[in-house]
Amino acid sequence: MVTLTRGTYALSGTSLAFKTGTWRVERPVHKHWAAPCHAACPAGEDAQAWIAKVQEKKLQQAWEILVSANPMPAVTGRVCPHPCEQGCNRGSYDQPIAIHNLERFLGDEAIRNNWAYPVPKKAKASAPTVAIVGAGPTGISAAYHCIRLGLKPTIFEALPEAGGLLRSAIPMTRLPRDVLDAELERIFALGIEFKPRHRLGRDINLEELRQDYDAVYLGPGCQRSKEWSVAGAVPGDLADGLHLLKEWVDHGGVPNTKKVVIHGGGNTAMDIARVLKRHGAEEVHLVTASGLPGPDTAPDDILNVVPRELEEGVEEGVIMHPHANLKRLLMRGSKLVGVEMVSLKKLPTASGRKARVSFEGTERVLDADIVIPCIGEAVDPEGMERVLGGSNYFRPDDWGRLSGQDNLLAGGDARGDRGTVSAAVGDGRKAAIALAAKLIDGVEPEGAPRQPIDIASLNLNYFQKGTRAKAPTLPVEERTDHAEIEGSLEWSQVSAEGERCFSCGNCLACDNCWTYCPDNAVLKTADVAVDGSHYVFDYDFCKGCGLCATECPCGYIEMIGEPE
Amino acid sequence: MNAKHADRLAELRAKFDRPPSWKDDPKEDKERQTIRERQPRFRGLEAGHRACQGCGEALAARLVTEAAGPDVILTNATGCLEVFTTPWPQSAWRVPWMHSLFENSAAIASGVEAAMKAQGKSTKVIAMGGDGGTFDIGFQALSGMLERDHDVLYVCYDNEAYMNTGIQRSGSTPHAAMTTTSPPGKERMGKRHLKKDLLSIIAAHHIPYAASASVAYPRDVTRKVRRALSIEGPTFLLIHCPCPLGWGHDGARTIEVARLAVQTGLFPLVELERGAITGVMPIRDQKPITDYLGLQNRFRHLFAKNDHRAEEEREHLQAIADYNIAIYGLAADGDDPLDSEGADTVHRCAIVP
Ligand SMILES: Cc1cc2nc3c(=O)[nH]c(=O)nc-3n(C[C@H](O)[C@H](O)[C@H](O)COP(=O)(O)OP(=O)(O)OC[C@H]3O[C@@H](n4cnc5c(N)ncnc54)[C@H](O)[C@@H]3O)c2cc1C
Ligand SMILES: Cc1ncc(C[n+]2csc(CCOP(=O)(O)OP(=O)(O)O)c2C)c(N)n1
Ligand code: SF4
Ligand code: SF4
Ligand code: SF4
Ligand code: SF4
Repeated sequence: MVTLTRGTYALSGTSLAFKTGTWRVERPVHKHWAAPCHAACPAGEDAQAWIAKVQEKKLQQAWEILVSANPMPAVTGRVCPHPCEQGCNRGSYDQPIAIHNLERFLGDEAIRNNWAYPVPKKAKASAPTVAIVGAGPTGISAAYHCIRLGLKPTIFEALPEAGGLLRSAIPMTRLPRDVLDAELERIFALGIEFKPRHRLGRDINLEELRQDYDAVYLGPGCQRSKEWSVAGAVPGDLADGLHLLKEWVDHGGVPNTKKVVIHGGGNTAMDIARVLKRHGAEEVHLVTASGLPGPDTAPDDILNVVPRELEEGVEEGVIMHPHANLKRLLMRGSKLVGVEMVSLKKLPTASGRKARVSFEGTERVLDADIVIPCIGEAVDPEGMERVLGGSNYFRPDDWGRLSGQDNLLAGGDARGDRGTVSAAVGDGRKAAIALAAKLIDGVEPEGAPRQPIDIASLNLNYFQKGTRAKAPTLPVEERTDHAEIEGSLEWSQVSAEGERCFSCGNCLACDNCWTYCPDNAVLKTADVAVDGSHYVFDYDFCKGCGLCATECPCGYIEMIGEPE
Repeated sequence: MNAKHADRLAELRAKFDRPPSWKDDPKEDKERQTIRERQPRFRGLEAGHRACQGCGEALAARLVTEAAGPDVILTNATGCLEVFTTPWPQSAWRVPWMHSLFENSAAIASGVEAAMKAQGKSTKVIAMGGDGGTFDIGFQALSGMLERDHDVLYVCYDNEAYMNTGIQRSGSTPHAAMTTTSPPGKERMGKRHLKKDLLSIIAAHHIPYAASASVAYPRDVTRKVRRALSIEGPTFLLIHCPCPLGWGHDGARTIEVARLAVQTGLFPLVELERGAITGVMPIRDQKPITDYLGLQNRFRHLFAKNDHRAEEEREHLQAIADYNIAIYGLAADGDDPLDSEGADTVHRCAIVP
């Protein structure tokens, strides 16, 4: 035994015998929040998690995390309106992270390198079977997630090829078909049974499917045009926008027109407007009751077009008439010669609900030789009449479960409240999760447990302002029916863009807590700690000062009352 | 590990629960090492010390010893650091450390350095003290050490008052700050005099290197410690260390307070070689001094309503900050990765192989 005498010496590091942790009234704990980009992604992607891997330059791992939610990043990276970027905390600091460009980069890298989709749970021979109607993004996503979760999916598709609107309607200038083919081929190769040319209601029926399979997921999209007229009038040669687009995608033909009025404000409206403009129409007017993004427009009143597409459309010469509606068609016999427009806006009524109010005295006339309705479609009920019960759309719960229908789910555009590829992907994923929970484990599915973190909980002192990466775009005069308009980022841009991410609500492994703790009470580990970080608190010594929580750039440390 | 070492380790473990790792076995006995023993940095100042929650001085001393590494001998003036690290019979230090008196840290260091030299050893000597022990009572010993050209780094932990004895004003206490011996009242708005410009006095000794640093910029602290230790001859480092108890701020905000001292211009970060300014940390976005003052109780009286002196003193401190910025040329022209905004930028560090 060493005997210590007062005034002489003490052995090194012996203060460790004194547990300063007893002074603590609050303790720091790691808290993993949902990053806003994650909370905002309809497909359910955790961009924070995969951007973290981009920062580590582990691109394949980044892609694997990404595709654990969304199997088609090369597609969504091109066409998604990226609500994740609207949610991104970096947007209130300088500019949001270019998430969709990074997503596209990873999707393309996966195709180029033929990275294998991870399948965590191989299906047993006795695995439950799922019939999926429709090979659009929602059906494909459902099938993909069934495979990942150990279910056996079969897709029934009316058309000869898979893809839904991705193939039949979205212009090639936005989604090159070789990219679509490559991504879908890789997904189907995972073992999805695919039955093309099988139309529900014509070649198969729902009752049979429900008997032959343990569950059925309906993802037929919206195939039926809605009735359209203006004050009862309809031109003789009427064709709706989606129909014209599909024909153009199919064989390149478009009606020969000079002055076009498009009625509606969605992607279909903008896409057909641009196609017609490119094919020589002198004037293309887009009349929409919604507003353009800007301070004068309420968020729920902005027209539903991918922001970049709106910009490019205007650049190409599409003339926008926001907050306007058609009041009357000017006809010579059954032939259109013009339209009368009126200004209107969505305003609160006496009951408090918002309704569109037109303003008398704002009527004006536009010359036009064609009017093209783009007002959306409804589910074609054929083969599903009993389930739809006369309504335009399915109304399932968030997991896609239809009330009163055992093991029958629906999602994607057919819900009526979705309308994007990423939402369709998300619906397919949720349906597969709900089915796996029920059919394999006999339990209820679990929802997202984490709260989104807002920018006030981050410590922005540790970041610097920087500019967002910008992808090259084709100049207007070089745009054709086929060449892709938006290009890819270079790896150097991807890497710099990844660096900008705040890592909201999750550990950045920045070492701040480890560096700043005056008490050496934050320990760093080479192994991953149970919470996924590389840091542990040594509560024997942590005095609970809260400094680490203040200085954590990512809001990942929270002070909580000391448990009794 | 030989049998003698193993026995010794077992004995220490039994006695102290978590002894430091045995110095020559970093890899041999992985299994029995605790996570603490496997930290990928040198631990010069161990946990279990008795500093207040959020103590800036404890953090600064930890950073200095980490940067210095194991081959050093420390001397320490009386003060908080000495007291909270060595509650007998324990010590939080893991390098040789010595304390004698309040006023003689530099003198002891001079002797240790001479002894090392006589023995032909290259072990570096670091003398340490608080601002009371450095600006005031230990100043002549320090001046002598510098003048005699000893190969010693002197580190002053500047918490701007005599904290260990209950927050008395020192030569370093800033103008208008409240301490127990400079209370605000009818006669005065806190300390009447100015913070002593110690760095200029030190620089006048014509030593090879003198610098100021702040716990808000740990990488800058590390760099300056290593720089100083790499120089043969007397060097000096003044580290700004907020004291939650003495300054009356929340211990969770120690770094924030320290950072604001730099961002406002009240605590300029500069480097001097042979008396000439050779480096400064530029200020990218100067913050108003009220951002800094408002976080601390010691400046509370400067926000008193219905007292015209409050505004006057705030303006006085703002003028001092502006003066510092002008004198040292701290205004950034363009963004610099090592300026007040850039120097603490974080990135994901690749820990995993
Ligand atoms: C012109 C246009 C542009 C768009 N641009 C974008 C965009 O930029 N970004 C974006 O996110 N979204 C865009 N969208 C919306 C997006 O395409 C849809 O939200 C998405 O495709 C919906 O996927 P889904 O799987 O639900 O339906 P769909 O893609 O419509 O797929 C349904 C599939 O089911 C098949 N099917 C239907 N009925 C049956 C049946 N009875 N039996 C068997 N099979 C059947 C169909 O043939 C089809 O293959 C656009 C839509 C259009 C029309
Ligand atoms: C000669 C002498 N005078 C007074 C004291 C009492 N004393 C001990 S520590 C201390 C204050 C130390 O203040 P500072 O050097 O600023 O260090 P801090 O405690 O603030 O870190 C005083 C006055 C003493 N120990 N010796
Ligand atoms: S799918 Fe869309 S919302 Fe989700 S991360 Fe990708 S771009 Fe963002
Ligand atoms: S900064 Fe990164 S983690 Fe935060 S919301 Fe944006 S992309 Fe997501
Ligand atoms: S900084 Fe250290 S002592 Fe303070 S709360 Fe965090 S771990 Fe505990
Ligand atoms: S301070 Fe940095 S290393 Fe520590 S928990 Fe927060 S993000 Fe992770």
